[in-house]
Amino acid sequence: MFADRDLGVKVAIYGHFAETGRRPEVVDVARRAGIDEAGVVASFQSLRAQRLLLLENDGRSIRMAPPFSGVPTQHLVEADGIGYFANCAWDALGVPAALRKPGRVHSRCEESGEPLDLPVGLEGPESSDWLFHCLVPAAKWWDDLVFT
Amino acid sequence: MLFFRSEERAAKWCEGRGVPRRPLVTMNQLWKLATTWYATRLEAVARRPQASEMRALFASIGLDDDFWDPGSDRFG
Repeated sequence: MFADRDLGVKVAIYGHFAETGRRPEVVDVARRAGIDEAGVVASFQSLRAQRLLLLENDGRSIRMAPPFSGVPTQHLVEADGIGYFANCAWDALGVPAALRKPGRVHSRCEESGEPLDLPVGLEGPESSDWLFHCLVPAAKWWDDLVFT
Repeated sequence: MLFFRSEERAAKWCEGRGVPRRPLVTMNQLWKLATTWYATRLEAVARRPQASEMRALFASIGLDDDFWDPGSDRFG
């Protein structure tokens, strides 16, 4: 157990995502962090305020723990036999970077719908001329993170 | 934050939605961003980059437009 409750909750959240590819429920985090559910919910709010977590309106369900998405998206990353949803194109490369494992990014060209199937090794993606575009300026990313 | 097959595809997407074209980022540049942002994210010591670190990171891979400045007020 961590002396800093928020830190323990954060590590528990990311540990669950990394092991399962899915968002943990409050009870999962409580068990993993060794604290009660009320403490977990309080830490969720604290981590949200620190911009480390984005929650659903219920305050208990994790929408984003970047680079992981708590809900299905168009960006699916496979690594070590586990499928992970990423929040955006940036996070799609962020998943293998965070896991420190080779992976395969499945996404699409947003204009044409052409599928992207990009192998990513420990040193980076295979040579590719695909491009990344971000509509929202950096100063505004957290104004609406889901849109960003 | 989206993938596009080419510059032309990105331009067409922006034009079709009446939104401004932003600087395009290559896969190698994106990998640098992803690893700097997330390489320690699963560890207890991880933290988000601060504004000055973000500026330095973007500049190090040639992204030095105001668009990438987390403190810029140019975009309203």
